[in-house]
Amino acid sequence: MNSSNGNGSMSTASSSGAWNGRDQFPAGLRVLVVDDDQTCLMVFEKMLKTCLYQVTKCNKAETALSVLREHKNEFDIVISDVHMPDMDGFELLKHINSEMDLPVILISADARKQVVMKGVTYGACDYLIKPVRIETLKNIWQHVVRKKARNTF
Amino acid sequence: MDLIQLQRQLVDYRTSLYHEGFLDEQFTQLQSLQDENNPDFVVEVVSLFFEDSERLLNELSKALEQQIIDFKRMDAQVHQLKGSSSSIGAHRVQKLCIVFRNYCEVHNVEGCLKCLQQVKHEYGIIKTKLESMFQLEQQILNAGGSIPV
Repeated sequence: MNSSNGNGSMSTASSSGAWNGRDQFPAGLRVLVVDDDQTCLMVFEKMLKTCLYQVTKCNKAETALSVLREHKNEFDIVISDVHMPDMDGFELLKHINSEMDLPVILISADARKQVVMKGVTYGACDYLIKPVRIETLKNIWQHVVRKKARNTF
Repeated sequence: MDLIQLQRQLVDYRTSLYHEGFLDEQFTQLQSLQDENNPDFVVEVVSLFFEDSERLLNELSKALEQQIIDFKRMDAQVHQLKGSSSSIGAHRVQKLCIVFRNYCEVHNVEGCLKCLQQVKHEYGIIKTKLESMFQLEQQILNAGGSIPV
């Protein structure tokens, strides 16, 4: 899955497909990562690939949203930066929460309590402060399982 | 200089960068992400950081020259610089960005100008040091050696 438009760009690490890697779980976890900073995006992508996740990266929230709408059920979790021009992480989170059932993790270099609070009250399942360690990313699969479990019971 | 000496020089240089607070453990994380499939990962990420930083520093300079200063926009730019410097472990630049943001928040022009000078200075230093380090690494590779961890 590779697409680009004039306003933003995204690229994916591998072809899409149903995630049936139960045996190697959480390997193959399908992650969409959104950050307008190319340095951060490159580091995240490498870290996520090192965790054996399938990574798609976007540098704009609008692009991320259209990708999610066009490819429903092809992602397990979204990781998004908070402060981005045009649409920010909070708005993206609101759209995702109202239109689909995906866990969203917010990340930011902004550690101010009121911003973190906003993220949590808007429904982010986690809020990570940059720089994010790879050990933290190794645990994000728990949010996917938690959400699925909550939907089942 | 022979290979062993070059390798020792690199280790010493790298250690000093950590001791003097130029780099923090995030840089170590980057190095651990590099492997045979991505042998130039660190250089590539750092190059992106240089590109982003230079653009942001230029924009910040221009912003502070305006009659009416857009502190909100400046704050967003400093925030971005803080994020990218933290993601490569450029510790001193990151710390300065925190101070810079505080001045933006209270619309302190003098404070912002001072911070910008300091950030430019620290950025210049870390850029030179990282480029020297990469050059040393290349010399080692050219001599047929491997980069010590």
